[in-house]
Amino acid sequence: MGIKLPLIQEYLQKQQDLRAVTRFAALHDEGSVCAPNGVYEAQIPLSAPGPGQQYAFRVDLDACTGCKACVVGCNRLNGLDGDEAWRAVGTLHGGGGRANRGMQQTITTACHHCLDPGCMKGCPVGAYEKDPKTGIVRHLDDQCIGCQYCTLTCPYEVPQYNERLGIVRKCDMCTDRLGAGEAPACVQSCPNGAIAITLVDVPDVRAKAETGALVPGAPESRLTAPTTIYHTKREGEAATLPADYYAYTPADPHLPLVVLLVLSQLSVGVFVLETLLGLLLGGATLPGAPIALLVGALSGMLGLMAAPLHLGRPLYAFRAFIGFRTSWMSREAVFLGLYGGLALAAAGLPLALDVPLAVELAGKVGLDRPGLDQLARDLEGIGRMLVPASALLGTVAVVCSAMLYVVTGRRFWGGWTTHSRFFGTALLLGSAVLACAAIFAAPKGLEAGSAKLAFGLLIGATLFKLGAESTIIQHQDDTERGELWRSAELITGPLFNMSTVRTTAGVLGGIALPGLLLVSGDSAGPTALRGLAVASLGLCLVGEFLERVLFFMAVAPLRMPGGFGKVSRA
Amino acid sequence: MKKLLTTAKTLLLNREGTLTRELLREPGGFGLGQVPSRLKPDATTTAVCGFCSTGCGLDVHLKNGQAINLSPSKDYSVNLGMACPKGWEALTPLAAPDRATHPLLRNSAGQLERVSWSAALEAFVRGMRAVQAKHGPEACAFISTGQIPTEEMFLLGTLAKFGLGMVHGDGNTRQCMATAVTAYKQSFGFDAPPYTYADFEESDVLFFVGSNLCIAHPIMWERVCQNPNKPEIVVIDPRRTETAVAATRHLALAPKSDLWLFYGLAHILLREGWIDREFVAAHVSGLEELEAAMQAYTPERVAKETGLSVTVLEETAALIHRGKRVSFWWTMGVNQSHEGVRVAQALINLALLTGNIGRPGTGANSITGQCNAMGSRLFSNTTNLLGGHAFESPKDRAKIAGILGVDERRIPREPSLAYDQILAGIRTGEIRALWVIATNTSHSWIHQSEARELLSQLDFLVVQDMYHSTETAAQAHLVLPAAGWGEKEGTFINSERRIGLLKKVSRAPGEALADFYIFKLVAEAWGGLDFLRRFDTPEDAFHAMAACSRGQPCDISGIKGYDMLESGRGIQWPLPEGAEVPRRSERRLFEDGAFFTPDRKARLIFEEPRPMPEPTDAEYPLMLLTGRGTSAQWHTQTRTAKSDVLRKLYSEEPYVEINPEDAARLGIASDDWVTIESRRGTMRARAFITRIVAKGQLFVPMHYATTNQLTYPAVDPYSRQPSYKASAVRLRAERRTERPPA
Repeated sequence: MGIKLPLIQEYLQKQQDLRAVTRFAALHDEGSVCAPNGVYEAQIPLSAPGPGQQYAFRVDLDACTGCKACVVGCNRLNGLDGDEAWRAVGTLHGGGGRANRGMQQTITTACHHCLDPGCMKGCPVGAYEKDPKTGIVRHLDDQCIGCQYCTLTCPYEVPQYNERLGIVRKCDMCTDRLGAGEAPACVQSCPNGAIAITLVDVPDVRAKAETGALVPGAPESRLTAPTTIYHTKREGEAATLPADYYAYTPADPHLPLVVLLVLSQLSVGVFVLETLLGLLLGGATLPGAPIALLVGALSGMLGLMAAPLHLGRPLYAFRAFIGFRTSWMSREAVFLGLYGGLALAAAGLPLALDVPLAVELAGKVGLDRPGLDQLARDLEGIGRMLVPASALLGTVAVVCSAMLYVVTGRRFWGGWTTHSRFFGTALLLGSAVLACAAIFAAPKGLEAGSAKLAFGLLIGATLFKLGAESTIIQHQDDTERGELWRSAELITGPLFNMSTVRTTAGVLGGIALPGLLLVSGDSAGPTALRGLAVASLGLCLVGEFLERVLFFMAVAPLRMPGGFGKVSRA
Repeated sequence: MKKLLTTAKTLLLNREGTLTRELLREPGGFGLGQVPSRLKPDATTTAVCGFCSTGCGLDVHLKNGQAINLSPSKDYSVNLGMACPKGWEALTPLAAPDRATHPLLRNSAGQLERVSWSAALEAFVRGMRAVQAKHGPEACAFISTGQIPTEEMFLLGTLAKFGLGMVHGDGNTRQCMATAVTAYKQSFGFDAPPYTYADFEESDVLFFVGSNLCIAHPIMWERVCQNPNKPEIVVIDPRRTETAVAATRHLALAPKSDLWLFYGLAHILLREGWIDREFVAAHVSGLEELEAAMQAYTPERVAKETGLSVTVLEETAALIHRGKRVSFWWTMGVNQSHEGVRVAQALINLALLTGNIGRPGTGANSITGQCNAMGSRLFSNTTNLLGGHAFESPKDRAKIAGILGVDERRIPREPSLAYDQILAGIRTGEIRALWVIATNTSHSWIHQSEARELLSQLDFLVVQDMYHSTETAAQAHLVLPAAGWGEKEGTFINSERRIGLLKKVSRAPGEALADFYIFKLVAEAWGGLDFLRRFDTPEDAFHAMAACSRGQPCDISGIKGYDMLESGRGIQWPLPEGAEVPRRSERRLFEDGAFFTPDRKARLIFEEPRPMPEPTDAEYPLMLLTGRGTSAQWHTQTRTAKSDVLRKLYSEEPYVEINPEDAARLGIASDDWVTIESRRGTMRARAFITRIVAKGQLFVPMHYATTNQLTYPAVDPYSRQPSYKASAVRLRAERRTERPPA
């Protein structure tokens, strides 16, 4: 069927034949078509930066009219992936005033090659360097392990994570183009000449960064001392409101980090509480303490194992200590790693001889019964000594964990909020584990008193934590639609269901069930007690996991003014 | 041991490995500067961009004859090394997964099913012939486009009208340029935009009317930025657009009150005697009638109609008077209007009265929309017979018949129905089959739901497109897969009449074919159309077009072929045979003051302003304006939505700009979802509360598929171009959807 034409095959073949273009490509090759210089050579400085100077972007806002060619020109001239953009263009709008008319201002933005680069400080593996001569902040792609921490410590959303490669990449001000006297891609591609490279004096940048922001709505410059200069001669009419001012979207939940944080804090909580209760009760061990410590140590290990899943290149996780001098993430990795090992020793040594293999080995090296008993006592003694040491190291590790987020400058991750949440989790889950273990270890666990104490602590910790978390809601009524307002809107909006489950799990697991246990006492019978205790611990865990997911998802990132509406992330 | 140490060191600290090499750059040669090493070309070639009418030159980077990257040509006089985001991303949409790769035919189950080209051609011929047998040849029509090369338009128009017996065919250029065409034809005697882009740089006063140049034509704005005269830039637009902000003056007039404004300015110019009497006497007709008519447009009356103050009107007129080189530029704000032809002519009148034409930096200048709107205007064989001739003229018909070697009786004696009339013909049953090429009626036509309904009533709808996923293709009986820009050769004609080459630098996917080949196959399958066999290549068609243009204002008989276009970096029309090849690459028309009317004089044309077809009222109290969203978006987004990086540059969700006062009155908060309702349909959009839009007005970008659910189907009576920018609507607030019901 159909109309058979020989032409069909001929045309299908011709369509695939690209040889025709060589007819014109040749012309170009021979130089018969000349290519004079573009219009942008005047847009870069004639000399390299002198001492106390560095390169910086200079944006003439009066010439930036929002065509966004810079974004795509950068992408094409630098061979970035299809969805990768090192530049962005946002909008400020406003107006009114005497003329009662509107105003808008588009803002092109890229890396600000800061004096105190947040990305570089945060990087745990030294994958950033600030060139001492040019001041350009470069990312070393092969050094990067893909932890994406720099995407949190940069207040301007500059480093972009590339899923295909498992690393972040960012603007390098086209260093080698500049070196060859060629303008960077964005400078080359701005039709209006709005972007230039200029030399700035470091002390000037430093002084200017003390107060204010690059443009209205941008993060405070004091965070990283950005060098970009935004320049305008317009007066009178002001455009000060970012077009995305009222926009909020849930951030990435960072699930491996959630697991790491919750489990490591549970672990530290058990060791700290065991130490404190030990002191409080005059050295007497809680019933079930060895089990609790073991559970704690093992969850710590589990958390540590989850962490690399967050990396784009987990095989290179071992580099994480390199940034210890500046990076809280390095410090977290180091202290949590040390803590994990120590805690495992503290919990494991007293139980070592419970392992048949260990006894067999001991037999082989010639230990007899009394020798074994002595070894058991020695190991228990060492273990007991290691508990407070672990607790101390763990506390430091949790401080590091918290500081990792505090230093990002995001208000939802403020010092008090983050520390109270992290140590709250430690206290809450630590007491839940201890209480649970006590119920299991002693048939009449509650009578032992210390289990009651642990449940009481659990209730207290839960009340404290839920109370502290709920304070964010009040920011819904903020007149300033700032970061905390966005977080509040997220918690009560798109994340409402999750936060409801979180609160319910917390109330049930941390207040209702422990309350029931305390009220019913041992009259409930061991099976019921154990059931209730496990349910309580389980619900508390669910609650804390969700709390941490919310911690990540409800944060409002610092950012430059953006465009209106939902912009594709793909 | 040393090796081991090195390995250990690299494991710990690695500054250069495979990941670093991903982004290495090196000199690309060919005058390109540094390029990504991965994408270093072994040759380059310049092709004209296939989006808008600016007609930028793009250097396509080739490796083994295949396009691997591109950058804007530095030595192309149009764009001087710059491109907008669409141009930079011109290659990306070619690789989209929803490319039409095989012909698709609707089967008995109602599904589009892959078929062979022979089956598709048979279906085409059977479908069209069946309709023609039952309802006559006039019952089959076509809708062409401003997006394909002129040679393909030429072949389509020739095939459809002289071969298949169709009488009616129009282009989507009806939606963008028809008003300017009609205005120029009536005023100048030919559809002849007089300017060259150098005029942007040579003016001292520039008027931009209904033109958001910074966003819609960023590379033309580049040329404005190059103007060394510190020019006064006056933007006339109800909205505070990017261009309005960049201008030195912004006249935020009431929507569709521009005819009043320009008559008011003419009134002041005449009153003050700020007229170039000498020029007018020599080259313009109709002054007396105009003077009499303009008496009525006193500043006071005009101020009332436009919402501008008398002072502003007087100042603006004085600005025109003081300017040495005044240019008037307009775009869709004028063209898409119920009285757009008269508004365009009111601007032409201002230029003529003040002698601002035919000199550097002057002119009444229509900025075109699509990459090849001008090609369509001259050679699509729809409204005009090929080459700007008249179907009604026996002399013209004989000339074209002679050149093409076609029986003169095959040439229709009447011009086509316009786009809106073809659609209306579906309603009356006069049109039963439609062939739609490279346009997306079901998205872009005004009062969209009606357009979709009408298309669904057709006995036979053929859609020829790069993508099988367009809203119109989804309604088709037969989909023919077309090769796109970059996959075929031909020429485009840009806004300044520059004919530029496009190049075949990429392989079309599957069995997609250049429209040129598709038209050739249809001709063969139809049978008996031997006169089309002489067009083996697009260049053959180009030579025929050049022959048709001989003796016309758009005479290009002096262009010998593609090699000449290539070495000339594009050539503007006219270039008659024997004319010296111009040394100056940027030429304007009417430097001798001779127009294309029979008496060689330009005409002053005017008419009483008419009220808006759908004014606001108590029920629908807000005026909806539509227009371009960002420079990263093109029309119905069939191409631009296929680029990841372009998609980062605009809101995926529809949004509506609302003035804060209206929002407060309606209880709408920023970022709320709202429903916009007109008498014809509704759309949902996010509220962007901003003073960019004036009180009582709303703005929605045209690119969202639901926008034209709202628009009111008024057309200009002379150009039949739809008026997209004035519809009465109302707003309904919704609660913010992220928040669940309480």
